[in-house]
Amino acid sequence: MAVEAKPLETAVPLPHAEEDPREHLMFDPRPREVMNRMVMEAMTTTSRRYWAWVIGLALVVLVCLLGAWGNMILTGMGLAGIRRPVFWGLFIVTFVFWIGISHAGTFVSAILRVFKAEFRRPFTRAAELMTTFALAAGALYPLIHLGRVWVFYWLIPYPNARWLWPNFRSPLVWDFLAITTYLLSSTIYLYLPLVPDLAMARDRTTGWRHALYRLLALGWRGTEAEWHRLRRAITIFAFAIIPVMFSVHTIVSWDFAVGVVAGWHSTIFGPYFIIGAILSGVAAVVSILFVLRSTMLHMDYFIRKEHFDALGKLLLVFSMAWAYFFFNDYLLTWYGGEEAARRILTLHATGPAAWVWYLMLICNVVIPWLTLWNRTIRRTPWAMFIITLLINVGMYAERYTIIPLTLGHQRMPFDWGVYTPRPTEISIVIGTFALFLLLYLLASRLIPLVPVWEVQEGQMAHTLRKVGKAEVPSVTELE
Amino acid sequence: MSEKISRRDFLKLTAMGAATTAVMTGCGPMSRYVVRRPYTQMPEYNQTGESTYYASTCRECPAGCGIIVRTREGRALTIEGNPNHPVNRGRLCARGLTAQQGLYNPDRIRAPRFQGRSNPATPGRDLTWDEAVQVVATALQKPPQRIAFLLGLAPDHLYDLVSELTQALGAPPPLRYNALAALEGRTTLIEAVRRLFGSPALPYFDLAQAEVTLAFGADFLQSWLSPVTYTRAYGAMRQGNPRRRGELIVFEPRQSLTAGNADRWVPIVPGSEAHVVLALGQRVAELRGLPVPEAFRAVRPEEAAQVSGLPLEQLETLAQTFATATRPLALVGGSALTQPNGLVTAQAVLALNALVGNLGQPGGVFLSAAAATPTPLAEVKALVERMQAGEVDVLFIHGVNPLFEVPAALGFEAALARVPLVINFAAFPDETALKSDYLFPDHSPLESFGYQRSLAGSDRPAWSALQPVVVPLYDTRATVDVLLAAAQASGQALLPYRDEVDFIQQKILPLINAGGFYTAPEILTFWSRWLQHGGWWTPAAGLPTPTLERLPASFGTLTPPTPPAEGAFYLLTYANHLGDGSGANRPWLQELPDAMTTVTWNSWVEIHPRTAEELGLKDDDVVRITTPYGSVEASVYRYPAIRPDTLAIPFGQGHTALGRWAEGRGCNPAQVLPAGHNAAGDLAFIGTTATLTPTGRRRPLARVESKEGVYGEH
Amino acid sequence: MAEERPAKWGLVVDLDRCTGCNACIVACALENNVPFVGEDEVAYGRALYWIRTQRYWEGEYPEVTPTFQPVMCQQCGNAPCEPVCPVYASVHSEEEQINLAVYNRCVGTRYCANNCPYFARVFNWFDYELPEPMRSYLNPDVTVRRRGVMEKCTFCVQRIVRGRQKARAEGRELRDGEVQPACVQACPAEALVFGDLSDPESRVSQLARSQRRYHLLEALGTLPRVTYLKGVGNHGG
Repeated sequence: MAVEAKPLETAVPLPHAEEDPREHLMFDPRPREVMNRMVMEAMTTTSRRYWAWVIGLALVVLVCLLGAWGNMILTGMGLAGIRRPVFWGLFIVTFVFWIGISHAGTFVSAILRVFKAEFRRPFTRAAELMTTFALAAGALYPLIHLGRVWVFYWLIPYPNARWLWPNFRSPLVWDFLAITTYLLSSTIYLYLPLVPDLAMARDRTTGWRHALYRLLALGWRGTEAEWHRLRRAITIFAFAIIPVMFSVHTIVSWDFAVGVVAGWHSTIFGPYFIIGAILSGVAAVVSILFVLRSTMLHMDYFIRKEHFDALGKLLLVFSMAWAYFFFNDYLLTWYGGEEAARRILTLHATGPAAWVWYLMLICNVVIPWLTLWNRTIRRTPWAMFIITLLINVGMYAERYTIIPLTLGHQRMPFDWGVYTPRPTEISIVIGTFALFLLLYLLASRLIPLVPVWEVQEGQMAHTLRKVGKAEVPSVTELE
Repeated sequence: MSEKISRRDFLKLTAMGAATTAVMTGCGPMSRYVVRRPYTQMPEYNQTGESTYYASTCRECPAGCGIIVRTREGRALTIEGNPNHPVNRGRLCARGLTAQQGLYNPDRIRAPRFQGRSNPATPGRDLTWDEAVQVVATALQKPPQRIAFLLGLAPDHLYDLVSELTQALGAPPPLRYNALAALEGRTTLIEAVRRLFGSPALPYFDLAQAEVTLAFGADFLQSWLSPVTYTRAYGAMRQGNPRRRGELIVFEPRQSLTAGNADRWVPIVPGSEAHVVLALGQRVAELRGLPVPEAFRAVRPEEAAQVSGLPLEQLETLAQTFATATRPLALVGGSALTQPNGLVTAQAVLALNALVGNLGQPGGVFLSAAAATPTPLAEVKALVERMQAGEVDVLFIHGVNPLFEVPAALGFEAALARVPLVINFAAFPDETALKSDYLFPDHSPLESFGYQRSLAGSDRPAWSALQPVVVPLYDTRATVDVLLAAAQASGQALLPYRDEVDFIQQKILPLINAGGFYTAPEILTFWSRWLQHGGWWTPAAGLPTPTLERLPASFGTLTPPTPPAEGAFYLLTYANHLGDGSGANRPWLQELPDAMTTVTWNSWVEIHPRTAEELGLKDDDVVRITTPYGSVEASVYRYPAIRPDTLAIPFGQGHTALGRWAEGRGCNPAQVLPAGHNAAGDLAFIGTTATLTPTGRRRPLARVESKEGVYGEH
Repeated sequence: MAEERPAKWGLVVDLDRCTGCNACIVACALENNVPFVGEDEVAYGRALYWIRTQRYWEGEYPEVTPTFQPVMCQQCGNAPCEPVCPVYASVHSEEEQINLAVYNRCVGTRYCANNCPYFARVFNWFDYELPEPMRSYLNPDVTVRRRGVMEKCTFCVQRIVRGRQKARAEGRELRDGEVQPACVQACPAEALVFGDLSDPESRVSQLARSQRRYHLLEALGTLPRVTYLKGVGNHGG
């Protein structure tokens, strides 16, 4: 392992130094081979319960997603509960939700990497996988919600027999380009740091796995030059993917913000959506980490309370930021005084579906603010699991409020309408959740879910030094 | 009858009246039969991709609007108004625009048929037309006094033929009935005109030029007499004259579309219209400095105010508005006539017009050119009694669906079962058709020849022509032809006509040089112009002026309305765009939102929101409306524009037959209407009271409006 | 043949004449092959009216009165539905200056419908089959839309084209009032007037200059081609 390291001038005392620093992964090193074997074991061990889940989820994907969608294609969009004037419903809500979730990987992996947040190391890959799979699940929706999905390729810019480019003024085309870019770049960004770990796996497996990893590891040998290039590539990508990430959700927000729909037409939607996406993404990372930690072998070694603690703090900050933007959105709309928009905001809080609005505020603001300030709660994984699930429920409610509830009460009261989701679309939504979980389950047994080399790199940089009688943690800055 | 039309191959010529083609030069005899050929040998007027237009007459209601049907490759596509037609001047209403959904309706009766009426288990069987004609011929040989004809209000040429037939046979004259006419009190109006002006005709009101119009119950924008004419006139009344905007004041217990468009809606007690008119007449006469006619003294203004619930000062204001107007006009119809005082109201309103001197004046009252046939319920009642007593051996039914349209309290269904032979010429399997012995389906109106001569909306003498625009789709046959063939087959020389076209040509023969906007030296040339223009009318407007010799000393006895008992309500029914209910099988008429409530595809009962609140009723609660004559169930619509003591149910739904789009929707208010009639013999149901019981069920109405948006309810 | 002047088609709705009779809805539906959807679908807001009458109530009993306002596609000069369509199914026509719906391009994103402040657009939620022989009355000039396609009022563009072709064949200009959409032609109260707004002498231009004029949601800057004339009097229109 090539670590270009130079000692720091002074040792940085860790917070809560009164604890045993060995509680931290970085100060609890294990021999490389032991750690490699732990990761390999976690990857190759499958229980009966695992297969039950895989088969169950595969069936759900087959029936709820493909079956219901196929039926809808053959019968018509009418199977979904959308109607005039609410032409977008659960499909777009869930689309925005998944795109939001997809911000987690990039945020955790790229931004924390750029800012050298050391706690990120064991779960960057878990988060990046979420990005890719959430994008995969989310990217289905622009197809699912098309009235005529069999001509979806008309949205793609390519020289064609129709002599017609797509309309580049349409945010849906921007969407298409942004999501494609993000999916491609985040997949590459997932793959790059994976190469050394794939090589590690290649060297420790036989049979089909060996063949697979040999193919994927691209002949990685671990030479100095390879490490050098990998590091350069990762750094470039880490910086490059951040603007892509910001652009994706900004563009998704423009789907709404560029419309004349009262309640959508707001300049704050870009940052508001980004913050919401990061909030829901980081929350989803916590939920996933809890599941990984409690179901996979050796994961409790890699994923520790300190990680829940650190992510909990981040969540609190993002919850506050989200509340700030939410307030801003309301304040400006209220101050702007457009009758239709004001009526919508009032109806959100007092109308028949006001419970969705309150659910959003309770889950996104009240619960995080009441709990996440508390260190004990932050360090209780199951509590964090519940809180983060609720945050995502709240974020789903936010999108539901913004889309169908806003569309239903526009400028002509005669044509107002209440949207009720119908079984087909609920089934498809469940189907994509199952698809996401299924992909994740399969991936967890196919690729090393912990970036071993990154953990080892970190552990090599962190040492405990004896200063007099005290053991002082010290960190070597990398690069 | 001649073999020419007994062959299926020979069908009625559809081409004669093409409004756009050069074929129409009037240059010679035109065959009335056409061979159905493949379209590879298309006649020259019918090119692929080119539309051919035919002028005809709408038969969806009795008004007789002129239509132009666009056809292509032998299919009727869209129906447009005939721009030259004096009734509608190119305009059409929703009913007329859906006529092709009747023509191409999948539920039409496709061939003559015998049904085992006595035993439902007996399968019916299809007949040939030869057999059918034989059945009719045999039926016509029954003792004449035991033959009865029940016809609808359209078409007129069939009525004329049957009148001649019954006269030749010595049978009672044909009877006409139509629910739309019954609901608008047409018979009462005709009778009032007869009593005051001497001839049984429908009045024509020059609404377009009126300045202040009082309308008593006449829903002229939706159903009354000739809605397209009067809607057109309404538009002109409002904005036709740049210098003044006509004012409209409507008196009725439930706000109809007309009252909704009025400047003022006066919700008086149902049944008190006569009192209001008489009181108004007194004050108007006084304000105009005229002697108050004796007949108007029948009621004191205080009494009228008390009976109608209209405060005296408002009555005074209205009288002043009317009396001081330059061109005042008073209309009457609908709920003001279909009540025990109806004939008094009708005469009083006509006399009110006479009082302000607008008879024959612009913005005043005229008489229609053609005599009108009344449709009295009293005579239907007499027929039912005869049927019940076994005095009718054979009943012919055409163009009317008595089991649906006649109040059930009359007992038509039971009486029908006692008639040994019922022959129905219905085009659709309606309620009555299913209870008939023989179905001899007539062509649909778009496949038929014919005419309408009683045109309530025409401002000049006019006859409106019908012609086939497509070859008949099915094995149907014109009823006139069937009757003529049967008359011939019965061996007696009853009628001197060869076939339907011959009959029509002989009937319109007097018109060929009667001062129309076209004339012709002989009938065949005239006939081609007649078909080309969709009828005949005079070039200039002009109608007979009614002359009032002398007002009677009294218009009749006045019965003040009895207030409903505790917990009971006045019940009324009205015609909306579904008319007499025969349009209920047009899917687009079902899909069309009701103008006032925006409800589609169903029936509802209108209740004032305050009353509903008192009764604890919410929208869409199913309630049972019970009168002494029966009960129906419908969902509640909280209607802000109805008297709190009144309930209203629209007419036209509640079919148990009539095809897939009509069956099993809503309720038929004819089930709860009384069988009583007023002095003119017209149905009198205003003043009927009903009780209302919640059923505890809910059935949401398909309304187009958003309840949340319009009423602020969630 | 004379050089054709591009027309700017416009519609005037005189609310003082409009009675709310809804004849326009049926005329439109049968001219444009608009399917009927049945009771349950209408109840769920899925009727495919290209024009519908908005009826609100004003006042309290007994002074209560309905107000009728027929609303169809406003053919905005600056149409919100146009830029958002990714496949140019909603485009502005140069020749008629109206907003066209190109059915065979539509992929059904329904974005245009969300972005239409007038709710003028309707969607084919299903294939609405007509039982035989009802298909016979379908207008061959107008595409029958299949499921998944957005549709809306086109000012009966097929009639405009037919009228223009006829005039061209006869070597003359279109006369004012020669082309009428189905709703205008049927309107019994003559509340609807259609014509060329670029001709200052046309009837529609004269009416559109009336002091009673207003546009729907004018503040949005959509530049509608439909002008409403306010009902006058106490409750008119």
